Amino acid sequence: MEAVLKNLASTVEMLAVAAQSDALNHWDKQTLSRAFHWARYCEHVFSKFHNNAAIRRIMEKQLQLTNQTLRDTIPGYTEVSFSDLPRCQHLLLVRLLNNPELPSSLMKILFDTTRPVKTMHGDYEDVTGLCSHIVQCKSVYKVLSPLADMSALGADAEVQGEMLMERLEALLNQGSETCRAEQFLGSVLQGCEGALQQFCLVIAAALLTSKNCTAQTAAHDFLLDWLQKKHSLLQYMCSLLSPTLLKDLAKEHQKLRDASCNVLKKWASEMEYSLSDGEWVLTSTGPGVSFKKLTELFLALFDASPSLRGDVEKELNALKISDGDFDVTGLSVWGDLLSALNM
Amino acid sequence: MSEQQPLSQPLQTEEPLLNDQEMQFWLDKAVAWGQADSPDTQKDTCLHMSRLRDFLHQLLTQVNSMSSTTETMKRLPFLGQLLGRLCWNPYITVCDTSRGLLLGCLWGLYSERPSNAVEKKANQWIRKVLCQLSTEEDETAAQALMKCTGVPAKEYHLKVLRKKVALLQENVGQSCTLFNSQRCSCDRIVDISKACIPIVTCPEASSLISLLLQRPVACVTEALSEDFLNALTSAYSRQGLALEEQALVSLWYHSFYSLEEAVLSLLQSVITTGLTPQKLEQQVAQSLLPKACAQHCSIFLVVNDIFRSILKQAEGNESVKTLVQTFTKCFLRELALLKPQTSISVKAFFPQSPSSLLVPLLTMPSEMPQGAWRNHLNWLSSSLQRLTEEEEEGDGRSTRGHHNVFEAWFLLVQCAHWVQVAVQLLVTSGTEDGDPFLWLLIFYHYPTKRWHHRASQLARAKEAWNHIRTLFSGAAHPLPSDRLQSLGTLVSPQPEQQSFAPSLTVSLLVNVAVFCQLPPSGSAEVLQASVQVVDQSGLLDEAACVLSSLELRLNEGCCLSRDTVHLRIKELQKTITQMHSE
Repeated sequence: MEAVLKNLASTVEMLAVAAQSDALNHWDKQTLSRAFHWARYCEHVFSKFHNNAAIRRIMEKQLQLTNQTLRDTIPGYTEVSFSDLPRCQHLLLVRLLNNPELPSSLMKILFDTTRPVKTMHGDYEDVTGLCSHIVQCKSVYKVLSPLADMSALGADAEVQGEMLMERLEALLNQGSETCRAEQFLGSVLQGCEGALQQFCLVIAAALLTSKNCTAQTAAHDFLLDWLQKKHSLLQYMCSLLSPTLLKDLAKEHQKLRDASCNVLKKWASEMEYSLSDGEWVLTSTGPGVSFKKLTELFLALFDASPSLRGDVEKELNALKISDGDFDVTGLSVWGDLLSALNM
Repeated sequence: MSEQQPLSQPLQTEEPLLNDQEMQFWLDKAVAWGQADSPDTQKDTCLHMSRLRDFLHQLLTQVNSMSSTTETMKRLPFLGQLLGRLCWNPYITVCDTSRGLLLGCLWGLYSERPSNAVEKKANQWIRKVLCQLSTEEDETAAQALMKCTGVPAKEYHLKVLRKKVALLQENVGQSCTLFNSQRCSCDRIVDISKACIPIVTCPEASSLISLLLQRPVACVTEALSEDFLNALTSAYSRQGLALEEQALVSLWYHSFYSLEEAVLSLLQSVITTGLTPQKLEQQVAQSLLPKACAQHCSIFLVVNDIFRSILKQAEGNESVKTLVQTFTKCFLRELALLKPQTSISVKAFFPQSPSSLLVPLLTMPSEMPQGAWRNHLNWLSSSLQRLTEEEEEGDGRSTRGHHNVFEAWFLLVQCAHWVQVAVQLLVTSGTEDGDPFLWLLIFYHYPTKRWHHRASQLARAKEAWNHIRTLFSGAAHPLPSDRLQSLGTLVSPQPEQQSFAPSLTVSLLVNVAVFCQLPPSGSAEVLQASVQVVDQSGLLDEAACVLSSLELRLNEGCCLSRDTVHLRIKELQKTITQMHSE
């Protein structure tokens, strides 16, 4: 364990060198390969021990110490945390490419376009063409992405949803660590600031992953509970989803079905009739929908769960009666809603 | 007054390699491509790809010839802008060659030791572009998830790409269905195939491409874009693409151009190098073409049309004829393997061949008792003779008749195992009438010679055959030099006529040498003498080939070949090898 900790510390120091030091000037191909080798080592260490709470704590402590020392000696130092370790190679690459001291010869190696044959350069795996491959991979995706496919959410949202679920399942698996799972979701949400729409798609995708195992069901449950606590997020999500997507989600998750039904009812209750538009509109600020979309969403929920239709009909009728039970358009949103829903 | 410039001066008075117009053209293109991402843009980019590659090549050469970045910036002021825009065009960065050229140009602008502010700035810009290209994430959510879940960027991008490919594969996997009044879903497939053009050589796209090629065709609309098929064909012939067997067969099925390429490449590979019959068979089988022909009748028909057109121009070309024979043999073998599943009659594969001759010729000698060969060949010979007589009689319908004779001859070439049997039987005839066999042989070598020429060739053949027979009869010892002389004269080129088919002569010589009554050493001696007399280039190789194919046929047919025959063959092979080294 001592050796592992020492190696961790050295790698973090190496990352600091890669980020800011002039010493980078003297790196050669061998040094480069070796650096990536140790970054890979850290990734391996993470995957082996991240579930072991005791060892994790020891490692976090070591990292804390190393970070401290480096912070004191290097101005503008960026810390490396334990959760950064699985992406160690990527962190190394970013630091290297952002450091103007990186020799152009090494850059040329990284961007080499001849198909890299995974050979061992001395003792370490060859990093020739590493960046070239990344660029190519991204380009292939960009070439294919405009093509219509079978997915309602898009390949990226689906993958992101899977990533979310995988991490969530792993965190929940560790026993009574629900706070970490909460933390995780919170940090993702925070990270998606400015991209809330995509975040909602990711949540939808996550809820639609179907592995049919207990771990996933537990994770889905946790996610749903978390979502329900965030009213505005849930509301926003409902405003974004297409009726088809809502139907698919409602079919799988009763909790979500009920929660979205409540959102829809709330929206209906906040609507006012606009004479100029000849329509019911939401006047409140915040995410909302048109009357037309509202009816479509309701219908989608009924599609997912036929029993819901009866319950909602009863409710809406009661509300209509309390409004005076008139059959004239524009007087009661409940009456108009009922007729729009063909009830 | 000397007009020459002193060599020390740079050639600045020469016209620039690249004019401003070209630069402007490509800059405008780059701007246009960057603004829209419509199917039209994609099409336009693909159309210009090879020209752009050439242009980048020229740029690279010019940039590398400059002495400094400052000079480059002065001479090509818009270079930075152009490169910067092209770097963000995925259609250009996706292809190894164009990406390499682009990066090469960037490196050309990089200064190891920047001497002024401009060069320093250029360096900074290049580093920034490269850094952004490989590490920048335009998607906030993606970045957040990567950070929080600990998934590295490389893995993420690969995952997303694979997911996209899988989703598209689901699309392609859907069979062609017509939704009410909507257009057939094959339209979407065409778009997918077009989008795959720039990525045909990318390994990540190979499963999608394979699926596209092998998708069962249900409707009339052509689901695969021709540009896509052509791109695949050229990538495959450059060996920049690996296709699994069935995908390759499907490519040939969809694209006449690719099939033609494959056939011509097979031809080239077997014609130029002198291959042994066994090697030839191996090469033909390995080309996968016979297998493809067995699976798709249309492929077989096209391949044969190509063979026909080549033979029409060069009917004397023995190597082509041998290839056709070997190809047909491999094809029939593949067909037999498939037979239980298909119920297509053999006639469908040979629509133009005279139906009466089809089965008799396709039957292999090994499939009938050896004793029946004589009658069979007699029948074949007389049928073919009748056919040629019919052609010669009808003048008004001469094209029809000529066509029939050609088709009969082509079928004979495809089934030339009977020609080889004819030689064997002629040689072992003894006193029995060998005329029909001789006629068949002449027809095989000279299909288009009309009756008067054929008659004279037949006469010459008889004479040559007599000489050969005498030489090997062992009656005369030492070898009658006058006989040898006559043979030589008969076979060597005459001023008015072309030489008598050397391959026929060699065939006769070798077969006689194998089947005659002389002891092995004796027959080898005679063969050696005859070949020396006939002595035209390449005959030794041909003799070796005839010997090998005879051996092959005897082994395959498992006809009761006596050990003496094999001994003799070995002895003759030794002799030929010896002659070769002399």
